Amino acid sequence: MIFRFGELTEDLTAPSEDRLSVGDPRVVDFLSRFARKLLAPAVARKHPELGSLGYFLRPAELKRAASRMTRDDGTYVFPRGNVFHVPPANVDTIFVYSWALSALAGNHNVVRISSRSAGAAETVLETLNATLPDADPVIARTQRMITYGRDDALTAALSAWSDLRVIWGGDSAVTTIRKHPLRPSGRDLTFPDRTSWAALSVPGWRSADPGAQRAAVLGFSNDAYWFDQAACSSPRTVFLVGGSPEQAGEVREEFLTVLAEVVAQRGWVIDAAMAVEKRVNAYELAATGAVSAVAFPDNTITSLSLSEPGDAPRRWIGAGAFPFAHVATLADLVPAMNRQDQTFSHFGFAPADLRSFAEALGGRGVDRIVPFGSALTFSAIWDGYDLPREFTRLTTLET
Amino acid sequence: MSVFTLSQAEREALLHKELSELTQHHRANCAEYDRILAASGFTSAATVAELPWLPVRLFKNLELKSIPDDEVFKVLTSSGTTGEVSRIYLDKAAAATQTRQLGATMQTVLGPRRLPMILVDSKGLLKDRRSFSARGAGVLGMATYGRDHAWALDPEGHPDIEALRTFLDKHGSEPFLIFGFTYLVWLHLYEVARDNGLDLSNGILIHSGGWKKLVDQAVSPEEFRRRLKDDTGLTRMHNFYGMVEQIGTVFLEGPSGGSLYCPDFADVIIRNPRTWEEQPVGEPGLIEVVSTLPTSYPGHVLLTEDLGVLDGVDDGDWPGKRFSVLGRLPRAEARGCSDTYREAS
Repeated sequence: MIFRFGELTEDLTAPSEDRLSVGDPRVVDFLSRFARKLLAPAVARKHPELGSLGYFLRPAELKRAASRMTRDDGTYVFPRGNVFHVPPANVDTIFVYSWALSALAGNHNVVRISSRSAGAAETVLETLNATLPDADPVIARTQRMITYGRDDALTAALSAWSDLRVIWGGDSAVTTIRKHPLRPSGRDLTFPDRTSWAALSVPGWRSADPGAQRAAVLGFSNDAYWFDQAACSSPRTVFLVGGSPEQAGEVREEFLTVLAEVVAQRGWVIDAAMAVEKRVNAYELAATGAVSAVAFPDNTITSLSLSEPGDAPRRWIGAGAFPFAHVATLADLVPAMNRQDQTFSHFGFAPADLRSFAEALGGRGVDRIVPFGSALTFSAIWDGYDLPREFTRLTTLET
Repeated sequence: MSVFTLSQAEREALLHKELSELTQHHRANCAEYDRILAASGFTSAATVAELPWLPVRLFKNLELKSIPDDEVFKVLTSSGTTGEVSRIYLDKAAAATQTRQLGATMQTVLGPRRLPMILVDSKGLLKDRRSFSARGAGVLGMATYGRDHAWALDPEGHPDIEALRTFLDKHGSEPFLIFGFTYLVWLHLYEVARDNGLDLSNGILIHSGGWKKLVDQAVSPEEFRRRLKDDTGLTRMHNFYGMVEQIGTVFLEGPSGGSLYCPDFADVIIRNPRTWEEQPVGEPGLIEVVSTLPTSYPGHVLLTEDLGVLDGVDDGDWPGKRFSVLGRLPRAEARGCSDTYREAS
């Protein structure tokens, strides 16, 4: 086991005398200093995603998040207790969001950092450690980040220690970690495999001016290419909504043309291995009849025509692979959505249409409906959970 | 008799016709293949390079065959690095053809008679069910081209010097065949022969399996040839390149060494992995292999995940293209949050 952050200890599960409160000023101070370092131009330039993280953790945001943890009915809000976080290996920064909210809630945290972490995650750890000398010593005693290989005994001990276990990383990670029992009062917060979609209004696109179209595509390209289109929130299939089939076909071509320009401009590169991966997956979909046309204009863009909206694949196809399907209205997509579906990013719709869509879904699928460009923006409400609430517990008092 | 006879122009003309016919044949008999080609908008190809290629990994994910279930005579499998397995379906005719053509290819360098043979492997390998499909099948397949077999390794995998000495005492003064995977030949035959003064000068070595493990030890193909020649007397060596997805087709190193050559019923195209156009001589790219042997499954035009380079055309030991294999393309990995946290437990 390697300590990446926090005070070294023999026993991570030993009882602690330290007490933090919800919105503890010592934690707020630490997170604010950490955010300031992340927002330094040198860091933000190298890892733009850390800029977003710094923004999420700036003092005003922390105050807002902490205030969401309070109640006005006289009920006490306390930290949940001990929280064990198992973040995904490859999305470099997501662990910081859930850890920071949990720390803000006053919990004692142990975060297991993947040994495969690299790039931005390493910068995060360096920055956290650089923030530590100015922080109250309680931070290092209550917040720990460790890396360890396969060690059932340690995972079991941390599971038995935790009041809340936060498992990211998909279905099989959730199933694997769940083999280790929690203490009877403990609970899991799980982030299993998810699928996300994009919807483009055909009339909305046609009535938008070229500037607005380009801005939308730029936002979409960030959503899609940032994590190789493999984050749970990365849009995969693009639904073309409304208009005639001919209009939808034209809009699709216009959209792809602008996308190709934007991708070339941004310099997103798709390597040979990824290009082959996309061919394999695209051909597989063609072989089963799920898609009726495949096109590979360039390694950066693979476009597929779905035979039916219900054929939209829920698995990853590769970076820059876009199945398309045309439907008449958003309501037609409701039957195709299920519990696995997370983010639905949109362009060109009237707010009332999006509201009726959300109401028709009724929580049976889709947790977030956001405009193009916001698919990857983390928020305190995630995967249908109000995280500040999950990280706290309530005590009632009647006199 | 040789199957390395056709110049590039002759080969192109023959392959273009036969492979185009095979494309039509597979479209008519394999619905999945037909859907892939229809979705890609393929109609016809003016050259071999324009024929639609399938990524070789597709055979791991899909059941692709152009014969009815009741004509399946043999199902070949290959173990992949990630545990996925290719399944290749042969009917009686395809199985017979692949055996015959592999034999013809080998006879080009071995002659028509079966030779006494050293297998640079352990008989114990055949008992290990896990490694059997890949290495065991390769060894067993090659064993049919020899007789009076000797195993260079004992059942525990240690060099069996006595077995080698006994074999050489009996057969060492006439031509004999040596087969093994390249790194095993280097580790378990070369060093043993050198240290024990074994004379391999009448041997014909056929080996395969890539250079990666040897390159890690800083042994280049040239070094391999030179050291075997200097230290054991072995001069006739042929590396080969082939895959279960195009069973029966092997690309064989020529007598003077260095390049692999295509048998008359096959060819390679090196593709630029960005533009997917054909690369000229000297420019590395992904290796596409074409062969007329796959009649029972649509594996006649395949894009491998191996990197290679053309060394020349119609300018070597044998006519046609000559090429080298440079290594493997790494597998693309998703870096998403649904990426499984495998080390977690």
